[in-house]
Amino acid sequence: MKKFSEFKTRLKIAKKKANKNSFTNNKKNTSSLGKALKLSTEMVAAVMVGSIMGFILDSWFDSKPWLTIIFFFVGAASGILNVIRSAKQMQEN
Amino acid sequence: MSTNPMHQFNVYRIGPEISLGKIDISFTNASLFMMISALAIIGVFFIGTKRKSIIPTKIQLLTELSYALVSKMINDTAGSKAKPYFPFIFSLFMFVLFCNMLGMLPYTFTVTSHIIVTFALAAAIFIGVTIIGFVNHGMGYLKLFIPSGVPIFLLPLIVIIEVISYLSRPVSLSVRLFANMMAGHTMLKVFGGFVISLGLIGGWLPLSFTVALTGLEILIAFLQAYVFAILTCIYLNDALNLNH
Repeated sequence: MKKFSEFKTRLKIAKKKANKNSFTNNKKNTSSLGKALKLSTEMVAAVMVGSIMGFILDSWFDSKPWLTIIFFFVGAASGILNVIRSAKQMQEN
Repeated sequence: MSTNPMHQFNVYRIGPEISLGKIDISFTNASLFMMISALAIIGVFFIGTKRKSIIPTKIQLLTELSYALVSKMINDTAGSKAKPYFPFIFSLFMFVLFCNMLGMLPYTFTVTSHIIVTFALAAAIFIGVTIIGFVNHGMGYLKLFIPSGVPIFLLPLIVIIEVISYLSRPVSLSVRLFANMMAGHTMLKVFGGFVISLGLIGGWLPLSFTVALTGLEILIAFLQAYVFAILTCIYLNDALNLNH
């Protein structure tokens, strides 16, 4: 009977070790690389969408470069907002 | 073989030319590889779930692990309300993953290295999530564009910024996947070309680079599929639980 209880505690310790080492460590690495890749495109996409929106509005209102220029900067602002937001989200998790 | 590193991304027609009105819907190599990856998913899951043994075989383990991965991801990011959307996110994840992974085999075509494919996926997700948001919250979903605690004279500017940030979601989702896949495959091809041109004497260094890059590309192929699915979950979370 003694041997059985000893085995039980040993199994518990081994399980704890296995959980600690292999799984969590590996997962953290992959997801942080994913986060890095995520942040870089977030900024570019917003600037692109802003500029394209400005360009379309320009051809609607016939006000050639001005709305494109304004929406480029608004797009850059929203890109920064996006990056800050996703960075905040990463810190919470 | 062509030494042009962009040659691998050429889309060409297989079989006869089919057109629907003015739209060309012929069967191309891109559609072939999409079909192959869809069939591969069905095949793997058919074999994996056929014999449900307690001690799983390798394929059964693969299917069970992928199920657990996606189910945990949805629970962690979008909560229990997103459970009905599990089949969609799971098939999306598997499709992107299989397309990426099939592209890593020699002589294959990487479907996800074309922006039209990734943008179509992202646009479908974007439209779907927007509809889900409006169905769940009605016009209250527009509150997403009005953050709380903003002075009234700043509101027009903030709303424009928020709208652009919302519209940039599908763009960033699709550009990320497409750019990663295309850059990786071009880089592999360029280094492969160096091996040939440097010959037996100097070719070993780029060859070792190619081997290392192939490992990295496999990691990225998995990671991009994972990121694609997890961002879908995050957008779904915004649509289901409005918290601003």
